[in-house]
Amino acid sequence: MSPTGIEAVFLANREKLVRFLAARGAGDAAEDLVQDLWVKLSGRMDGPVANPLAYLYRAADMLMIDRYRSRRQAERREQDWAEGQGGPEPPAVERALVARQTAERIAATLTALGERPATVFRRARVEGVSQKRIAEELGISISTVESDLRLAAHAIAALKEQIG
Amino acid sequence: MSQDRHSAFLAVDAEALDWALRMADPAQADWDAFTDWLEADPSHVERYDRMAATLLDAEEALTEHPDVMEPPRSVEPVADHRRGALRWIAGAVAAALVGAIGLQAWDDRSQPYAVETAAGETRVLALPDGSIITLAGASRVALDRADPRRAVLERGEALFRVKHDDRHPFAVQAGGVALVDLGTVFDVRMGQRQTRVAVAEGAVMVDPNGVGLRLDAGQAVLVEDGRLIRAAVAPGDVGGWGDGRLAFDGAPLSEVAEDLSRFLRQPVSVAPAIAARPFRGVIDLQAVRRDPALLGPLMEVRMRRDAVGWTLEPRG
Repeated sequence: MSPTGIEAVFLANREKLVRFLAARGAGDAAEDLVQDLWVKLSGRMDGPVANPLAYLYRAADMLMIDRYRSRRQAERREQDWAEGQGGPEPPAVERALVARQTAERIAATLTALGERPATVFRRARVEGVSQKRIAEELGISISTVESDLRLAAHAIAALKEQIG
Repeated sequence: MSQDRHSAFLAVDAEALDWALRMADPAQADWDAFTDWLEADPSHVERYDRMAATLLDAEEALTEHPDVMEPPRSVEPVADHRRGALRWIAGAVAAALVGAIGLQAWDDRSQPYAVETAAGETRVLALPDGSIITLAGASRVALDRADPRRAVLERGEALFRVKHDDRHPFAVQAGGVALVDLGTVFDVRMGQRQTRVAVAEGAVMVDPNGVGLRLDAGQAVLVEDGRLIRAAVAPGDVGGWGDGRLAFDGAPLSEVAEDLSRFLRQPVSVAPAIAARPFRGVIDLQAVRRDPALLGPLMEVRMRRDAVGWTLEPRG
């Protein structure tokens, strides 16, 4: 991978990425995070990237989502302690069981919406197939794919609110 | 559980959810507009994080438990080169970064990553459990650092040399086909129309939660339109491409062309008139890579070269 392509894109868009990360909740750390991100990413790109700028943005976005998830997990653990439910981590078997039950709840929620929205969600979000392709497969319009996807996402968000 | 978790789902949450859907889709992500939306109200970022994390949690739960939501019978051999590369790659990179800057431990979380090859390239992946995956050209496999006993072949072909463990069988998903090893070397190939599983050593169980078809060495199955068709193979030919040989026993030229496109650097297509013609023989990949025109006499076709690649045409 020549250093020119993606590096040029990075340098030209550095300020925009900093602004994005600041808005994305990184605050004053945005500058440093952009630098970290670049150091990590530049060493890893061993193939051509179709849209380097979108790739950089999404990596930055995912970084912040990961940080949110880690924070949330830590908070949950603290809350468990405060509520007197703290203790040693549940054994792996139990964790696996809970994870499975959650997956089953999610699947049931999706299936309850009907076969098509469930399929659209699975194809788009679990298997990463493009909306255009899903529309072709199911013989429906892209706007139907979009609305099915939103329907499914809303149902999942509602389930999340419900089970906490 | 505290009461505030049941707070009403506000319109702004729905908006955040829409952004979370859009930003995960390379075809729809508008990062400038998204930055503007985030800056418009300081509460937006937290709502977005919550929605994006909820979706990822759900997706990971379904990925880790593929059987809870059985795909409909129509088995889809996917060959969409545009499929969510951005999301997978970005996800894996971001997870690695989190580790690097010392946040939470991720050991009990799924840590997906994907490996892909360009046409003409093969790649050998050694997994932490001792299993080895040889990835053919123009192929892509999704793996999980948190669970090395699971692989999803997203396109192309791969040869699995699996370290068998009775208590934790190795599971492979390819399109709508699921299989687990029973002690094995096996090849999985996703074509345009069908997915093929062929066993060189040991055995695999195809569709373990459904029909539970057992394949032993020298057996293969073709999955097409949700139907399973048994076939026989020479065990020595299974995954022969790893040693530079491509063996065919009566496969239609369309399929041969598809395979060649993976192993050569230029795509190979076939004229419709001879697409269904069967081919028997062994192709030496190294020689053909040097000179694709060698295929002409071998396959009794005329090789036409154009700007993008090669076309197999009828002779005369």
